[in-house]
Amino acid sequence: MSLRVGADIGGTFTDLVLVGEDGATFEIGKVLTSPRRPDDAVIEGLSKLVDGDDERRAAITNVVHGTTLFTNALIERKGAVTALITTKGFRDAVEIGREHRYDIYDLRMKRPEPLAPRRLRFELDERVLADGSVRKALDEGEVRALAQTLIEAGVEAVGVSLIHAYANDAHERRVAKILAEEAPDVALTLSSELVPEIGEYVRGSTVLANVYVKGIAEQYLSRLRERLKGELDLPASLFIMQSDGGLCEIEAAAQAPVRLVESGPAGGALAAAYYGDLLGHVDVLAFDMGGTTAKACVIADGNPLVANEFEVDRQYQFKKQSGLPVKVPVIEMIEIGTGGGSIARVDALKRLQVGPDSAGSDPGPASYALGGDQPTVTDADLLLGYLDPGFFLGGTMALDVKAAEDAIRTKVAEPLGLSVLEAAWGIHQLANESMASAARIHTIERGKNITAFPIFATGGAGPVHAFGVASILRSPRVIYPLGAGVMSSIGFLTAPMSIGFSRSLPGRLDKLDWDGVARIVGEMEASGREILGRTIDDADIGFNHFADMRYQKQGFEVRVPIAGGTFDAARHDDMLARFEETYRGIYGHVMEGTPVEAISWRVVAHGPKPTLALPKAARGESKDPATALKGRREIYLPAQKALAEVPIYDRYRLPASAVLNGPAIVEERESTVVVNGAGRIQVDENSNLIIDLLTGDEG
Amino acid sequence: MMAIDQITLDILWSRLIATANDQAAALMRSSFTSIVREAGDLSAGVFDRRGRMIAQAVTGTPGHINSMATGMVWFLERFPVDSLKPGDVLITNDPWKTASQLNDITIATPVFKNGRCIAFFANCCHALDIGGRGLSADSRSVFEEGIFLPVMKLIDQGEPVEAVFELIRANVRTPEEVMGDIHCQIVGNEAGAKQLLSFMDEFGLEDIEELADEIVTRSEAAMRDRIRDLPDGRYPYKLTIDGFDEPLTLKAEILVKGDELTVDFAGSPGQVPLGVNVTLNYTAAYTTYGVKCALAGDIPNNEGSFIPVTVRAPEGTLLNAKYPAAVGGRHLVGHFLPSVVMGALAEALPDQVMAPGFDGLWDTHIAGVDRRTGEHFSYTWFSAGGTGALSDQDGLSATAYPSGIAGVPAEVIETLAPLVVRRRELRTDSGGAGRFRGGLGQTMEIEVLTDEPYLFSGLYERTKHPAPGLHGGRAGEAGELLTNNGTTLEPKISALVPADTVTVLEMPGGGGYGDPKQRERDAMLRDVREGYVSVEQAAEVYGVEID
Repeated sequence: MSLRVGADIGGTFTDLVLVGEDGATFEIGKVLTSPRRPDDAVIEGLSKLVDGDDERRAAITNVVHGTTLFTNALIERKGAVTALITTKGFRDAVEIGREHRYDIYDLRMKRPEPLAPRRLRFELDERVLADGSVRKALDEGEVRALAQTLIEAGVEAVGVSLIHAYANDAHERRVAKILAEEAPDVALTLSSELVPEIGEYVRGSTVLANVYVKGIAEQYLSRLRERLKGELDLPASLFIMQSDGGLCEIEAAAQAPVRLVESGPAGGALAAAYYGDLLGHVDVLAFDMGGTTAKACVIADGNPLVANEFEVDRQYQFKKQSGLPVKVPVIEMIEIGTGGGSIARVDALKRLQVGPDSAGSDPGPASYALGGDQPTVTDADLLLGYLDPGFFLGGTMALDVKAAEDAIRTKVAEPLGLSVLEAAWGIHQLANESMASAARIHTIERGKNITAFPIFATGGAGPVHAFGVASILRSPRVIYPLGAGVMSSIGFLTAPMSIGFSRSLPGRLDKLDWDGVARIVGEMEASGREILGRTIDDADIGFNHFADMRYQKQGFEVRVPIAGGTFDAARHDDMLARFEETYRGIYGHVMEGTPVEAISWRVVAHGPKPTLALPKAARGESKDPATALKGRREIYLPAQKALAEVPIYDRYRLPASAVLNGPAIVEERESTVVVNGAGRIQVDENSNLIIDLLTGDEG
Repeated sequence: MMAIDQITLDILWSRLIATANDQAAALMRSSFTSIVREAGDLSAGVFDRRGRMIAQAVTGTPGHINSMATGMVWFLERFPVDSLKPGDVLITNDPWKTASQLNDITIATPVFKNGRCIAFFANCCHALDIGGRGLSADSRSVFEEGIFLPVMKLIDQGEPVEAVFELIRANVRTPEEVMGDIHCQIVGNEAGAKQLLSFMDEFGLEDIEELADEIVTRSEAAMRDRIRDLPDGRYPYKLTIDGFDEPLTLKAEILVKGDELTVDFAGSPGQVPLGVNVTLNYTAAYTTYGVKCALAGDIPNNEGSFIPVTVRAPEGTLLNAKYPAAVGGRHLVGHFLPSVVMGALAEALPDQVMAPGFDGLWDTHIAGVDRRTGEHFSYTWFSAGGTGALSDQDGLSATAYPSGIAGVPAEVIETLAPLVVRRRELRTDSGGAGRFRGGLGQTMEIEVLTDEPYLFSGLYERTKHPAPGLHGGRAGEAGELLTNNGTTLEPKISALVPADTVTVLEMPGGGGYGDPKQRERDAMLRDVREGYVSVEQAAEVYGVEID
């Protein structure tokens, strides 16, 4: 009997789950995050789960971990004193960026400062051309002198990103060697190792982000490993969740911490894919709504969509291109400023607006009675009867109905000449509208038809709003998993070991350097084997191959899944067909006769997918939901535009296979499932709630 | 009292904007024209049956956004609304009716419910090619600039008007891409129409007249409120740019009276025999954009927000060119208009304006023979200088304004063309000095891998007339075009230059804001430490001695 642990460090809580391979053991732990030393909370939570049981301690084989620590260090600018070494003439590439305005009306638009200030961006008089040929050789004396300059300037970390290093890495390697001799204490990242892809701005930015947090990552990860062994005496191996949904060992994680920035949300997306699969849905829209933001992620054909680029430290959290680009594989997600704490206000056009500014948790919504006087989504949910003032967070926090009413009356209802109830409904529904719009545009941009997708609802406010969002999107079904509060940790335990590689070798498909492609793909596969081979059997290692392809002269590439095997000219037709299939899937058409180019090549090496057994709900005698009835209360029903009494159920007492009908409320500790219209509610054997939306005859 | 309740209105309004955004997103992703895809050089919007724009995608460049907004009436003048039939799709690229350049194609699609036209979806996209001389300022009349498409039916009750398709196809250099984009434009409108009809059903709406009235009325009222906050008066300003044979002085007077604002360009130059004349709707587009940036960036763009603003220029002048003037390079003048507005409003709205910046994109075109392959090549790219400072913030270095283009990485340039970018760096001391400093321009040094003379043509502005500062701020550094071997190049004249010529583009900086002597010492120290400002300039202009 072996046990595995998933541990996710979030902003407020560190969540843990402990599961056994047979489904009998399934325990959840939640402790407050310890921002100063995040490992403290992990150790605390784990020791609670182990609970002095030596048998249990010995049975834990894996600890899978994800953290936002590195993202926070990037946002708060708490990383190392970082320098950039680049080719002569290019020290400003990371500052000049794309020369682009991401907001055309905002004259005060800000751009993020590069992680290496200009005075710490150094140039070497060397040059490689686009074809990889050396135009000007590296002067080793110059590198040695520069090493001294770095030390004198107090530099702790150096990113090396030389022009065209993706095509020829010799100079970067030589620089690394010399720095290792002359400045061995300085952390180092090479662009040709981390992100050998064309584009000096994004490559340089990625290298800087990585090396900026590398010291923090090395220290933190090795300390955590030591404490797991030393303090808890756990024999378990420690694995880290990467942003693309694969796991790695801590050595790889410490080398490329920038690949971990979105580990928590990646866990949530994996959980959605897992539950979707369990219920027979290969396509799912994962929807997570918390206190300040909502996130949506598309699961297509059983897997979350993966993008090749991400942004950190956005100047405006919800504006694309306002941050520092990092070219790392990441599960693609859209995040918008709509959460329980989002503030409602009346704008200059006398329109009701919700978010993106948020009351957060301090002072929080007016109903928290912690000093907040702005009306929020949570306040509206309370007045609509969707939340029970005496059962918020399982009854641990009383909500002040009067404070919510006052805030909504004075700030929204009176200015707009509405009743408080109408205003509350407006806030609730506009929040739903903006989340639905964001999800819809996200799927349109990816060529998916969202109306066919069931919604997987998580987060504190997700279950309150998911039914409304599904109604707007005309989704057929909403799935509410049990344990929505620890979904990321559960997702971690469904992730296979994996490591991704990429290399640029641009060329027209009909004139491609196939020998070159075969060589780099072979090298990437060999690296994958070597790294994964440390923890898994060679026979269990599999590979996924992708090419970033486009029509000639297009400015962006699509990620095309391609077969592995031999790479030679005979592959041309197959590659073209796969490109066209992917392209048509996204854009609805192809451009026959236009030459096709392949720019970068990607190999993802992965181990087997672990199986995760969920606990089965106790099979009672009765399937009658009445046993779980807590009472009845009035909630707002949009179809009737009025309050009406509906049954309130206790989720933990609902028997498996029970079927009930909306409108209804199902309460659990961390959230409340609101069904404010017609729907058929089923409880499955794993205690998940599944609601099928009924259209036409609206309740 | 309206029949649509407040909350339903808010929801429908946000749905309309979302629909336009969806349409723009789909178009942008699938376009074959890099400027559409990367710079969002397109616009998409929803119009009521009277041709009033009621919602627009939050994207694009001002030239498209605002000229499309006012362009729908021309479609209706040619095809009265009740003469249209389901399945009709209309097209035009008439520069006098839409975006002032033949490359900008507008496609409009009427939407029907119960047999009645209830709305239009339209979008305007920059076509990769439109025939003629190709995108240039060299023409003497619009006849040389490409194929001119008057307002016509492109699809008639579901049947493609083959003659129009064939004519376009036969007149452009890149028919696949151009026809592909037109196809995307049609599909985009259809998708928008489908979404509109679907949510009209959901809310039981038969038409959108009442919704449109409400949107227009409220937006107009909000815009009028903002204008009313301005003191009544006349606010003149003039801005001189390099122009072509001689400098051009763009002269404007803004008249604020109650809740109306008029921008009058009387006294600006006359029409020129080059392709840089601007049609009035394009002049209005960039002018209203400047007004909106300063006054009302948060008010949604629709008919209502345009009503209180009037833009005038005497007919037959540079800013109100008469058919058949050449207009292909109208952005070379039009892009400076927001700065004219800013300058004029600087007294009335000191905290809401931005000092003039480099404004006009630097457009570089190089063609020749690749030494390594012997093949001919031709490559064009755009670069940005510095933007102007504000009353509380420095300008942005090497960042586009008012156009929204994106630059191309040097590694990509070198992969696509036999060019070596020897330098791309910020230009020290080029930001206009001020309490807040203008953004820095950038320097690019370009070598060509060729053994034969090559063609170099640039369209570069602000080489003689730098971006002025505001409220005591100094002008940014002017741009410069240099070579390594004594070859002299003019900023707007194409030249065949010796193979070994290395060109250096020194791009202009933005204007400063406020007295440089008042710049905070910490900001000054940082500028010098990071090399944005030299020790010499710090001492001479800012009066700060730093060792």
